[in-house]
Amino acid sequence: MIEKIIKEANEQYLRYSTRRHFLQECITGLGAMAMGSLVGSCGTGTGTGSARMPAMNGLDPLLPKPPHFPARAKSVIYLHMAGAPSQLELFEYKPELAKLHNQLCPPSLLEGKRFAFIRGVPKMLGSQATFTQHGQSGAWVSNYLPHLASVVDEVSFLKAVQTDQFNHGPAQLFVHTGSPRLGRPGMGSWVTYGLGSENSDLPGFVVLTSGGKTPDGGKSLWGSGFLPSVYQGVQCRSKGDPVLFVSDPEGMSRQLRKQSIDAINEVNRREYEAFGDPETLSRIAQYEMAYKMQISVPEVMDISSEPEYIHQLYGTQPGKESFANNCLLARKLVEKGVRFVQLYDWGWDSHGAFPNEAINLGLRNKCREIDRAQTALLIDLKQRGLLDEVLVVWGGEFGRTPMQENREGKEMPFLGRDHHVDAFTIWLAGGGIKKGTTWGETDEIGFSPVKGKVGVHDVQATILHALGLNHEQLTYQFQGRPFRLTDVAGEVIQPILA
Amino acid sequence: MEEGSIGLFIGRWHPLLVHLPIGMLLMAAVLELLRRHPRYAKVQVAIGPVLFAGMLSAIAACIAGYCLSLSGGYEEAALRRHQWLGIAVAVLSVIVYLYHQRSAAWQIHRKRYIAAALWMLLVILVAAAGHYGGSLTHGNGYLMQAAPPFLQRWLGGKGGGAGTVVIRDVQEARAYRDVIRPVLATHCYSCHGNDKQKGALRLDSMAFIRKGGENGPVLKAGGPEESELFKRITLPEDDEHHMPPKGRPQLSPHEALLLQWWIAQGAPFDKKVKQLQQPPAVKPLLAALQAEDAIKMHPFVPGKAPGKAGSAAIHALVQRGLKVMPVSEENDYLQVNAFNDTAFDNTHTALLLPLKKQLIWLQLGHTRITDAGLRNIAALPALTRLHLDHTAVSDNGLDALRTLEGLAYLNLTATKVTDQGLDKLAGLKSLKQLYLYQTAVTAGGVQRLQRRLPQLRIDTGGYQIPFIAADTIVYR
Repeated sequence: MIEKIIKEANEQYLRYSTRRHFLQECITGLGAMAMGSLVGSCGTGTGTGSARMPAMNGLDPLLPKPPHFPARAKSVIYLHMAGAPSQLELFEYKPELAKLHNQLCPPSLLEGKRFAFIRGVPKMLGSQATFTQHGQSGAWVSNYLPHLASVVDEVSFLKAVQTDQFNHGPAQLFVHTGSPRLGRPGMGSWVTYGLGSENSDLPGFVVLTSGGKTPDGGKSLWGSGFLPSVYQGVQCRSKGDPVLFVSDPEGMSRQLRKQSIDAINEVNRREYEAFGDPETLSRIAQYEMAYKMQISVPEVMDISSEPEYIHQLYGTQPGKESFANNCLLARKLVEKGVRFVQLYDWGWDSHGAFPNEAINLGLRNKCREIDRAQTALLIDLKQRGLLDEVLVVWGGEFGRTPMQENREGKEMPFLGRDHHVDAFTIWLAGGGIKKGTTWGETDEIGFSPVKGKVGVHDVQATILHALGLNHEQLTYQFQGRPFRLTDVAGEVIQPILA
Repeated sequence: MEEGSIGLFIGRWHPLLVHLPIGMLLMAAVLELLRRHPRYAKVQVAIGPVLFAGMLSAIAACIAGYCLSLSGGYEEAALRRHQWLGIAVAVLSVIVYLYHQRSAAWQIHRKRYIAAALWMLLVILVAAAGHYGGSLTHGNGYLMQAAPPFLQRWLGGKGGGAGTVVIRDVQEARAYRDVIRPVLATHCYSCHGNDKQKGALRLDSMAFIRKGGENGPVLKAGGPEESELFKRITLPEDDEHHMPPKGRPQLSPHEALLLQWWIAQGAPFDKKVKQLQQPPAVKPLLAALQAEDAIKMHPFVPGKAPGKAGSAAIHALVQRGLKVMPVSEENDYLQVNAFNDTAFDNTHTALLLPLKKQLIWLQLGHTRITDAGLRNIAALPALTRLHLDHTAVSDNGLDALRTLEGLAYLNLTATKVTDQGLDKLAGLKSLKQLYLYQTAVTAGGVQRLQRRLPQLRIDTGGYQIPFIAADTIVYR
């Protein structure tokens, strides 16, 4: 009996003799010093590749930093239509395709290509929308987006954007993090890492979702990847509590909360001095940000204080989760200096399996949901003098095929299109972007680009360029090499820059 | 003088040998000065041997230099100058040496002045010969170009570097003049230009390029692979025929590609870029030539260099919660945001004044500033962008803003400005954007201002999106 207790006591004692103890305490800690010098440069955030990391002396990681050259835009609002909106029903006018409607797809188009769901030989599908030209620029916009058509002169289209991922998850990751694999930081994280935040009371990177579901790429789309987690996107909700768990529980006053956060941060600061882990700085910053957000976020996320005509302009639905609410919130956030606001709207995957996936039914409903709101966003930013300083980007993760989807070779109950990687449409408006232009052209059925082909990395490089960042110089040292948003590719798309 | 001959070999020793007389003769002159001081009288014995060595090496350098000049490719006038100065140095060094050896015998009073004159002449000639020798190798203005601007101005040299071509629209630019010639100027003119013509080749004008050099034409229009001009650039860098020679600044792959493209298009000397075919590999390179310009032409950033702002002034602002950041890493202009200092009011505007040279963008929306505070704001002459939205600013304050000549963007959304205030803005000739949403201005006032400032874009907001039937149709 006694042996058991002694044995247990010995084991407990031995448990405290960790490797850390040996390295730190024995031989006056020479082991720890040696290890530090060996792996010191392996740490994340060290090395010349992380030129934008705040110096390791406790500086605020969200301190605003100057861009490489003068920026045209200070903030970005990215409207991502998760699921991939059909460019052939919205912006790509292809009368030739209409002539081929219901004809069998010629084999030359199918050769060597792999589709997500199309099997065998599908039929061609002409556009279900009617197109007209609008504005002074003469841009083609369909009747699915009548309101956007009225402001199309503010917008620049990229009609020949290419990607190489035909599944939602990897494709969304590719668009937002620069790689189809998980683990890389999102665009907003890169931007806040590069530029900091102009308003220290609000997070620099905010994400709002609508459409009922989170996009397929998941929360990694706005994750901070290998960047310090302070640069992570903060997902706010337009229904209920704006940020979950940010408000104090019952019985805790704000004063008490401040005291406990100060105590925690004091411990963290000492921890940082001892170990130098940049993630600790992140933690300190996040605690302080969370404290400030308790006041600032409910204030900025409260759309009920807006006048009635603003609500009518956007078509908001207070109390519910809607894209219109999110657009109004996006405007309020950039007004307050938030760097990067991402809006995800789910439900654009028009395969044709269900009525809400039909390009002549469900797609029209989705368009109706966003049309007024995105137009209102552009107009509202413009009248407040912000459109010059804010870059608005709209797009999906890939396009849709000119062919009708025939899942497993069978005809679908509704009209739908499959995923198409070779060509899709993105539009940009605002800071640094020319007004009323189109860059890129696809062939007469909208299958392949023929002119002005750009890749996803090029779009990312252009967004960074508008913010004043050279995409090749915004790097972070990780796993032994400098990483950047555009990986090893990407060229700024000069023709659409003002 | 063909390659491999002994003459050329000796000639190539000139750049090595010539440094010896420079060092030694100048050292001899220094020792000669030094020996007059009682403490260093002992160096007297060194002057003789140093002079002797300097004399011999000067003669050897002259011989080698003459052999080198026979290889040709140097501009005649400069070569002659350097040659005669070098020979003069050698001759004078012999005279000074002999004089020095016999100085004891000739220690007569007035001869001391002759000795001093000879020494000074020697030093001057060494400097002059050396300078012209350097110009022969590195081109005129080699030192001056690298001097800092204040020194250049003081010495009266040409300021700045070689005139860089600023291409506003690369498609409208001339292919040879604006794209290819700058590349040749940077990498080729120093040896194949006005001052020197190595291989009897000049590349600094259309006629000279067409004429070619001692080995024949260097350009075959339409065939870059058969044009020496391009072939030599693509040789391995170690190859003896590779151009530019090893050790000189090399052409970047982009520049080489542009040269290849130009030759392949028929080496046109007068066509514009847009008249030529532009394969996809070349398009981004051409666009990049224009991009530099696009970045520099930011509409709200003035082009001058304001100098750094004082850190104490910046610190005072940051203490208040204002964000002070440089506009970019390229220049010292600053922007100030008051997002986190909504208590900013008139008394604090004085804190901005120390930054008046650097401050160009000022964001004071939602603060407590009023008309009185605008007086200090008006004392910031560099301002191009000013946000005063959602403040208590009214027409009276706009009086003060009249002095802001560089102001290009003014945001007065949700302020108390009326038509009267608009009239006060009519003197701001640089104003490009004015935002008056949620103010009490009327169409009449706006029109009046628009007439006086036709370049100005005035936005009064209040846009409506009409309700249409499609807004409520649900498709099932």
